[in-house]
Amino acid sequence: MNPRRQFVLLFLIVPLILRGIASGSVDDAQSFALQAAEPYVREGFQVREDYWGGDLAAGEKKAVRQQLFKGNEYWFWMGTEVSHARISVHIYDKDGKLVEQSDSWQKGHFAAAHVVPSTTDSYFIIVAVEESPEERTHWALVYGFR
Amino acid sequence: MISVFHINKWAGFTLALLGFTAEAAQAPQHINVKQYKTVADVVVPLPGEVFGALNKLGPVNWKEFVRTEKGANFSERPRTALLLGNVIADGFIAVQAQDAPAVKDIGQRVLSLAKGIGVGASITPHAKAITEAADKRKWDNVRLELDRTQNSVQQAMNELQDQKLSQLVSLGGWLRGTQILTSVVHRHFTQEGAELLHQPDLLKYFGDRLTAMPEYSVPVVESIKHALVEVRPLIDTGSKPISADAVKKINDITTRLDGEIVTR
Repeated sequence: MNPRRQFVLLFLIVPLILRGIASGSVDDAQSFALQAAEPYVREGFQVREDYWGGDLAAGEKKAVRQQLFKGNEYWFWMGTEVSHARISVHIYDKDGKLVEQSDSWQKGHFAAAHVVPSTTDSYFIIVAVEESPEERTHWALVYGFR
Repeated sequence: MISVFHINKWAGFTLALLGFTAEAAQAPQHINVKQYKTVADVVVPLPGEVFGALNKLGPVNWKEFVRTEKGANFSERPRTALLLGNVIADGFIAVQAQDAPAVKDIGQRVLSLAKGIGVGASITPHAKAITEAADKRKWDNVRLELDRTQNSVQQAMNELQDQKLSQLVSLGGWLRGTQILTSVVHRHFTQEGAELLHQPDLLKYFGDRLTAMPEYSVPVVESIKHALVEVRPLIDTGSKPISADAVKKINDITTRLDGEIVTR
């Protein structure tokens, strides 16, 4: 390989590849959200194939609005591939009242919220990256019902 | 997309460990939900979600709602997209009825419609899996494959920059689900059953989406657009319960639309 090609490979292409590997993707985040869901599948929750995701800065929050049905029970699971990040997910009704069950939890780059809707209506699932070593942190949200 | 069933065995162990160490989530008791940017307008539920809730209110004779006739094929893509959503919803009904031959017929019908709209390749493995699961009477697996089918169809459409067609698939499924929901609740009216129709944000979402697709102004899309305006005051009743009369009217409207979707 000529020296010019070596330079391009070493100083331009390799760092780009390494950055790509390190930065992950929303699909990676989804695999962690599904990991969080896995024990609940054994309890009869049907996990929906679709998922929602993106990237957030530390301290940033977003909402996913969702129609829920009284009579069903739902879990929402959130994950990120950034292992030192701390994330959260919470569920509010249309009036902004926290409606999740007390067994909702968060642990590092996993979080989950449990709701048994008291009315059939749309609800707000608020996702947040509380802390992260990354400038932008991928996240993904999946949900299941029974 | 990664399936929950493909996660390695260590995932369960990791999460079991997590269960012992997770913190209870602390969150404010009240927030102003309007201050947040939303990721999606409204997440459209699967027909299986509303059928599951309906099932908990009392026994439903799902067999009488099973439909397997082949029906028409359309050359217009928006019509095929609506029909595709409608037929996938029929698949969920056949699962509720535990009708294996119907499930298999519907799987093949979905495949044929998907091919007609240019997204058949992504559906072939799901159609095969639906048939196999139906033969083994593994209803949860059939449900999962129907969900995957709808998701794959919509992903394939999105990849073709056809998000509007993808939205029509959701709408077709929602309309068929609402038709069945109102049929069941109308026959044995309860306020709990009628409350399942309380979906005003979803109705607004579909109305907005249809308004944003003038290029798909085929007669059935126009009919749906007008029908959504008719339905809205019947379900958006504030604190008042949805009446038996409203349920009957919504059933008439959705039955009429279903006829327009499935017939030439």
